[in-house]
Amino acid sequence: MTVVACLKWVTPRADDDDRFAGISAADQSALEFALQSAQPGEDVVAVCAGPVGAERALRDAVACGVTRAVRIDLDPRASSSAVASAIASVVTEARLVWCGDYSLDRGTGSMPGFLAARLGIGQALGLIDVTIAHDAMTVVRRLDGARREIVRVSGPAVLSVEGSTARLRRASLRGVLAADTATIDVVTGPSSVVDTVDEKPFRPRARALAAPAGASALDRVRSLTDAGSVTARSETVVLDPPAAAARIVSTLREWGYLG
Amino acid sequence: MSDADVIVVGAGPAGSCAAIAAARAGRRVILIERGPFPGSKNMYGGVVYPRILDELVPRWWETAPIQRWVVRRSTMVLSETGALTVDYRSNAWGEPPYNGATAYRPDFDEWLSRQAVAAGAQLVTSTTVTGLLRDASGRINGVRTDRPDGDLSASMVIACDGVNSFLAKEAGLYTATDPANFTLGVKETLALPKHVIDERFGVRDDQGVDIEILGGTSGVNGGGFVYTNLDTIALGAVLKLPKLAAQKKRPEEIIATLKAHPAIAPLIEGAEVKEYSAHVIPEAGYSMMPTMVTDGMVVAGDAAALCLAAGIWLEGVNFAMASGMYAGEVAAAAVARNDVSAKSLTAYTDKLNATFVLRDHKKLRKVPGLVLSDRVQQKYPAFVTSVVERVFRVDNPQPKPGLRRIVREERKRAGIKLSQLIRDGWTGLRGFG
Amino acid sequence: MTSIARDTSWPEISFEERIGTAEFRIHERAHIVVDGDTCRGCSTRECVVACPANLFVPTSDGGILFNYENCFECGTCYMVCNKEGAISWSYPEGGFGIVFHRT
Ligand SMILES: Cc1cc2nc3c(=O)[nH]c(=O)nc-3n(C[C@H](O)[C@H](O)[C@H](O)COP(=O)(O)OP(=O)(O)OC[C@H]3O[C@@H](n4cnc5c(N)ncnc54)[C@H](O)[C@@H]3O)c2cc1C
Ligand code: SF4
Ligand code: SF4
Repeated sequence: MTVVACLKWVTPRADDDDRFAGISAADQSALEFALQSAQPGEDVVAVCAGPVGAERALRDAVACGVTRAVRIDLDPRASSSAVASAIASVVTEARLVWCGDYSLDRGTGSMPGFLAARLGIGQALGLIDVTIAHDAMTVVRRLDGARREIVRVSGPAVLSVEGSTARLRRASLRGVLAADTATIDVVTGPSSVVDTVDEKPFRPRARALAAPAGASALDRVRSLTDAGSVTARSETVVLDPPAAAARIVSTLREWGYLG
Repeated sequence: MSDADVIVVGAGPAGSCAAIAAARAGRRVILIERGPFPGSKNMYGGVVYPRILDELVPRWWETAPIQRWVVRRSTMVLSETGALTVDYRSNAWGEPPYNGATAYRPDFDEWLSRQAVAAGAQLVTSTTVTGLLRDASGRINGVRTDRPDGDLSASMVIACDGVNSFLAKEAGLYTATDPANFTLGVKETLALPKHVIDERFGVRDDQGVDIEILGGTSGVNGGGFVYTNLDTIALGAVLKLPKLAAQKKRPEEIIATLKAHPAIAPLIEGAEVKEYSAHVIPEAGYSMMPTMVTDGMVVAGDAAALCLAAGIWLEGVNFAMASGMYAGEVAAAAVARNDVSAKSLTAYTDKLNATFVLRDHKKLRKVPGLVLSDRVQQKYPAFVTSVVERVFRVDNPQPKPGLRRIVREERKRAGIKLSQLIRDGWTGLRGFG
Repeated sequence: MTSIARDTSWPEISFEERIGTAEFRIHERAHIVVDGDTCRGCSTRECVVACPANLFVPTSDGGILFNYENCFECGTCYMVCNKEGAISWSYPEGGFGIVFHRT
């Protein structure tokens, strides 16, 4: 079995080049958990769908201790689902697949979900705490309204972690020196992977809100932000996956998030 | 066996050239840089004079990341509101083999480090050297880094770790750090469209301009500079540390005043600050230099105070590249001879003495002190500009006064003693002549 | 900031905007530590004027507030400070700290 860390190569500012690029804090946490969660004899693979420059991130991962590094040559505009398909095609026998929750650029955190679907394994996404034990892991998910969900992960799964969950170990000097000549496997990803090219800057959809009611400014701000009303509109329902998906869509529509 | 023949600390111009030279000579070289990539920690005014690279990187101008080729060099003397400019132009400098060029250090240093890697050196980034290793006899034979398992052994070390050089200090090569020997450089990278820069500075295509400024630094001894990049202008001030601290004027205020000077303001009108930066310069030249060699180590570039900062000259990169190159050559030969004692390594000092590196420094040894002296800084700019102002002013129906009279009157007005003027003039002549 | 009468056509920027033009990769460990007690007895305060990043802030009770995060790693502070032991100065961990772009 293998443990995988998915790393996304990101250039923070538009006019910057590879010198200033890197992986996000969330991806660094994912790499650290991959290294920590591997059992003796298990391979730890770092995968990055990105340009040649991204091999620096993979070499850094090798320096930190991963046993194999794969770069998937992919159109940088590829959608999350296309990236997930490409990664799924190079990942075999994965026991744990670690991803960062959000990438540095405008990420939606959707790639890990797609990846779990492609690999046909479980998922635990948006983790803010991870406890690694020998047989199973206990992880904490961040939910809306300051709620948390504690999940035990025993079978194969994709896990996405937030940036502050772990601090990536510092590679040893020997590791760095050796990583210089390590081989990076390069796989050519599918060529037509751009589902939708959205070149516009990200703006959340506008929602019309009624003017807040309340006697004081503080009350009005409270009513605008839901602050303090943790249980505002929450309910726990147990549904099978298709029904759950339908329910999410209808609720989002009801709340005005979907067109 | 040790990890390398030669460890070079710092991938600035000195370090990369040392690594190129030593690797070319067949040595195993590891080049260590604390920034995420070479050049990421480095800032300067903005002009490189890479002639010395002809030896190491033939036809360097075809691949080096250059902004503009300098075809105009000016020296500007600023009084409160006046300016006297000496301006030289040579379009030949804009053609191969070129003379000076503007470049960004994160570009230039990274490019130069790639030449070292191409020559066979191994580059390690994001790694800070924290100390020296020594053998039982006290000879330096490696470095300690801030990585786990981070000791690295070698036959010898070349310290190219820049102006703060903790390695040269740890090796006991400096006697003391006197702040009076240093200046603080602060600069703004100012964005303007290329065609606007072309028009304002009277250049076209990839031609560029280098302006050094004396005066205009709000009473803090130092100077200023304005250099043209493709679509930015580098504008900054160089400030003598003790004066800066005593004057109670902050660096960014001094820049603001310089920018507002009537001779500077029109050049940068409408420009937006893209990046603010700061770095220290070893300003005192020859008089502050450390011992250059010790058992198992040589020092090059700013780490050895080899930067030449003498008024109309602000050159450090070329001195760093040259000293680095000689250090690399000498180190390679010493390792081959199996003798890296201080005595064997004096070949490096000999080389510096025989070339422009120390010859220029020795010739100009009195100039940094003169240029940064209170007289030159506080009195001469006003004196010189008012003399010129009166020479050029037409006061009809008054007849034109004689130059000698003007000089005498203005000298008295500025409070400069004739004996001082003669002495400074003599120092300047001897220094520059 | 002192006001200087001038005729300029560029916007004055605040110090926060100015320092915001530079990229700092911040490490959790402070690479420079300033000993507030030593500073309490310092009347000259060279660091306050000279630090180009304006990181030394005098406090009302006579101390110095120092934040290492937006530091150029230039070395000015330890050179101008006259009090032994006030500043312990080192470089940040490799890969962290100031990253210049167009300098
Ligand atoms: C404001 C200003 C204006 C200037 N203008 C000009 C100019 O226009 N033209 C010109 O030619 N020169 C100019 N200079 C001088 C020039 O910048 C220097 O002389 C030159 O950079 C020296 O090169 P160097 O390689 O010796 O040192 P540096 O360029 O300082 O390189 C030292 C390198 O060592 C690394 N390093 C330091 N310590 C360690 C460590 N412990 N472990 C690992 N790595 C380490 C640093 O990150 C850096 O990359 C200017 C300087 C300043 C400050
Ligand atoms: S750091 Fe030094 S100069 Fe600054 S207040 Fe403290 S003692 Fe004074
Ligand atoms: S090193 Fe320079 S920027 Fe950093 S605190 Fe000291 S003076 Fe300020």
